[in-house]
Parts: sequence; C-alpha cells; structure tokens
Amino acid sequence: MIDARSEKMRGSLWRKPISGIAKIILLFYAIITLYPLYWLVISAFKSNQEFFNRPYSWPQHWQFDNITRAWDLGNMDRAVLNSTIVTISALLLTIVLGMLAAYVLARFPFKWSGVVKGLFLLGMLIPIHSTLVPLFIFMNKLGMLNTYWSLILPYTAFELPIAIFLGMAYIVSIPREIEEAAMIDGNGWWGIFGRIIFPLSLPIVATITILAFLRFWNDFSFALVFINSQALKTLPLSLSLFSDGFGTDYSLTMGAMFIAAIPTILIFLIFQEQIMKGMVAGSVKG
Amino acid sequence: MPASLRSRSFVIMALLPALLIFIVFAIVPIFWSAYYGFFEWKGLGAAKLIGLDNYRMILEDHVFWRALKNNLILVVSAVIGQVSVALLLSLLLLKNTMFNRLMRSAVFLPMVLSTVVVGLIWGYIYHPQIGLLNQLLETLGLEAWRRPWLDDPKINMFAVSIPINWANIGPYLIIFIAALQNISSEIEDAAKIDGAIGWRKLFFVTLPMIWGTVVVTVILCISGSLKAFDHVIVMTRGGPAQSTELLATYMYNNTFTVYRYGYGSAVSTMIILISAVLIGLNHIITKRRG
Repeated sequence: MIDARSEKMRGSLWRKPISGIAKIILLFYAIITLYPLYWLVISAFKSNQEFFNRPYSWPQHWQFDNITRAWDLGNMDRAVLNSTIVTISALLLTIVLGMLAAYVLARFPFKWSGVVKGLFLLGMLIPIHSTLVPLFIFMNKLGMLNTYWSLILPYTAFELPIAIFLGMAYIVSIPREIEEAAMIDGNGWWGIFGRIIFPLSLPIVATITILAFLRFWNDFSFALVFINSQALKTLPLSLSLFSDGFGTDYSLTMGAMFIAAIPTILIFLIFQEQIMKGMVAGSVKG
Repeated sequence: MPASLRSRSFVIMALLPALLIFIVFAIVPIFWSAYYGFFEWKGLGAAKLIGLDNYRMILEDHVFWRALKNNLILVVSAVIGQVSVALLLSLLLLKNTMFNRLMRSAVFLPMVLSTVVVGLIWGYIYHPQIGLLNQLLETLGLEAWRRPWLDDPKINMFAVSIPINWANIGPYLIIFIAALQNISSEIEDAAKIDGAIGWRKLFFVTLPMIWGTVVVTVILCISGSLKAFDHVIVMTRGGPAQSTELLATYMYNNTFTVYRYGYGSAVSTMIILISAVLIGLNHIITKRRG
C-alpha cells in the first residue's frame, strides 16, 4: 500500500514539471503559428511609416482608413459581391445535385453503379491544375470565359465527389422503414427525397456546405485563369492584383487582406468543431 | 412494371445532372489535355499536329525536371513539416482538455485562409527590406543572417515550403487525434499490464496501431505537394530564373505567359501521369502491407 502510494506520488511529482514544460513549449508553438495572423491584423491598422518602423508593436493610432481605402480602391464591394454570387450558386448546385446522386448511389442498386462510384472516386484524385488548360480552351470556344458560370461549374464538378461520398455514407445509415412508410403514404421517389431523405441528412449537408464554402470562397487558380474582366473578379483574385498595383502601400494591402480573411476566420470560430470533423472525413476519403 | 419503371426514371433524372457536370468539367479535360499535347498551338490560328514531339521535348527539358525536383522537395518538407510535426503534436494534445482544444484550434486556424492571403502575408514576412523575418534578425543582433529569402535560389524552395506547411498542418493533426482516440482502451490496458509505458509503448503499441493512418497522410502529402500552385504563384511566380518553378506553375507559365498551349497541355498530362504513378505505387505498397 505504502509502496504503491509513494510510487504514485513519485509519478505525479515527475509528471507535473514535464507536462508543465510541454505546455510551455506548446504555447510557444501556438504563438509562432498565430503570430503571422496577429501581425496581419495589427498591420492593417497602421500607417506605412509605422508598419516599417515599429513592426511588432500595437498600432499607436488605429488607422481605420486603411480598410476603407482598400475597400474603395480595390473595388472590394464588387469583389465581395462576385465571390458571394459564385460561392452561393456553386453551393446550391453541389448540395442539391450531390445529395440526389448520393441518394441514388446509396439506395438504388443498378448495373453501372459501381462504375459511377469509381468515377467519382477518381475525381478526388485528379490534380485540378492539370485541367486548367483544357478547360480554358473549352470555355474559350463556348464563349464561357469571363462569366460566373466559368467558375460555378468547375467548382461544382470538383466538389461533387466529396459531397457525394459524405452524403452516401450518411444516407446508408438512415433506416429504410422510413422510406417505406412514406411510400405507403403516397410519395414518389422525388417526394421521399425532398420530404424525408434531405431533411434527415441536414447534419451532413451542413458539413458539406461549410467545407465547400471555404473552398469556393478561397479559390484562386480557377479565378486566375477563367476571369479577366475587372467586373467579375472574386475576392482572392482582386487581392492578388492588389500586391502588384499598390506595390509600396503596404498598409493598404494589409487592409485588403484583413477584409478578405475576416469572414473565413469568423466562420471558423463559429463552426470549428464541424469544420475539423468535416476536413477529416473529406481528406481521409480523398 | 410501372413501379420499377418509375424508379428507373428517377435514378436517371437524379443522377444525370451531377454526372454530366462532373464528366464534362473534371474527367473529359484530362483526355483533352493529352490530345492537345500532340499539337503546336499558340492559342490563336491553326494548331499544328506534331505527334509526340511535345512529350519528347518535356523529357529533355531541364526546367521540367527542375520543377519535378522542386515538387519533390515540397513532398519531403511536407512529410517532415506536416506529418511528423502533426503526429508529435497529436500525441501531446490527445486528451480533451480545454487547453488542448484551444491549441488544436490555433494550429488549425491558418487552414481556413485563402491561399492568396497566406502567400501575401508570407511574402511580406520574407520581404528583403520591410520583411518581418529580416527585421526580427536585426532586432536579435543576427544581421549576418539577413537574406532575400525568396530570391536566393539556394534557400527559396525551403522558404516557400514553410507557409505551405504552416497552412496545412491542421487537418493532419486532427486526423491523427481521431486515429489515436480510436485505439481501444482494452489495448491500452493490456499494454500497461505488459509493462509498455513511455517510449516503449509509443513505438511498440501506439505507432503500429495508427500506421494505416500514417500511410494515408503521407499519400495525401504527396498528392497535395504535386498540386502546389497558388502559394508559389502569389509569392514568386516560379522565379527568380525559374528557381521555384513547380510542375503546375510551369504548366501555367507555358500556357498563359508564353502561349505554348500544346506544350502546356503536355505538361498537364505529365502531372496526371506522375500522380497516377505515385497513387498506383501507394496502392501496391499498402496492399502488400494489408
């Protein structure tokens, strides 16, 4: 008894300082990780002079006009509007078409269903950049470049596999009896999907939505290649041009980055559990 | 039977739109890029069929090989900087305490930023004159260490890889925590009874239990590093003198900067082939293990 207790005490006496040191190292690591973001925020509110002379310090006079100037000069209102239109349209398409396909693939055994699943699985492995050139040529021929559709359709195409596989895994777990009951009540398949399956799948739809939102809202490569027109530039695209156009006005670019980064950071803070879980499901499947 | 007819038409109508968009915008382009790879084409005017010449030129193109080598540097740095660090952190942050949850969020947060924001912030951190890193070195009295981090061909690939690792470590951390939490408590208890604690437990019990996850994350690192594009376009555009060129940026620069559409398409096809080879290799290796 006494031996066991003293051993236990020795253990905890040892463990405490070790875990204390580990905690300090971890905290240090977290500070290094977060510092670039902290630096972005404080720099967004400094003058260029202060940005250069006192890079680490808290802003002496908070310059909110960096944000407003960036908003005006960078046509950020237009960029935010474009990003919103493209993101919401692609989200709707991804969710509706993805969940419908997931329902069919989860519940209706048909001859080609294995092939179709394999094809979507393949889609997760395609490096999207290798499709930029052929898609550019294709859209050029169709006159689709510089339209919202030139972003909405590729976004949807590349997000569908993840949506379908997450949706399928979820729908499989819904008991079939519910569908049978709904069928007896006189619903067709469309009714069953719309009134039963889709509402019951809302938790996974939420996960798909958040993952897809982050991807669409942050996309750079498709926008870079398919959009030239000033009026259609999305947020990341106009941001990338900012750094060229206003070369030495550092705080202005920092202000623009602040505008672009805040929405996703807020979304993260609100939905972090769901985002982390979804990223795991999405990346392990991919 | 009318009922089965009805379900058949539902299957077609419900599946077709998704399948159509997916095939037209994700699958067909692969074949197109292989096809355009057989042509010499400036984007305007007539395309000239030149057979395998583009592909032959690629094999002799030292910039292509350099780009591939740079991609492989990113793979190695991702395995060290993302997988190993995430694994280490996940062992320390496994327990569900408040402190650990806050730590996980901190490590995960950069993940939600646009690649453009990541590239621009780090471009400023590395900036030769106004950059945070050089200013920090000066403050610390290490002026001799100051460098044009993104311009020096000896180090710029490593400088480029740090923001990519910074932004992508979060998902790996969460994947490892999920895998570690799945190890059943019975195995933990059995290991304890057998006297497996500390390092011994780590190497003989914990790591073998999550080995499958480690393999998957390495594969994700490989395919992720072959896709690398955005950060580099924003930070260096592949320069200076193509020292940070990657396969994807080389494809982009060939096509949209010097208008060699055929050659750019051929490079695209090579990216797909290289990915397929690596994924196939992984399939063989993991199958042998299982």
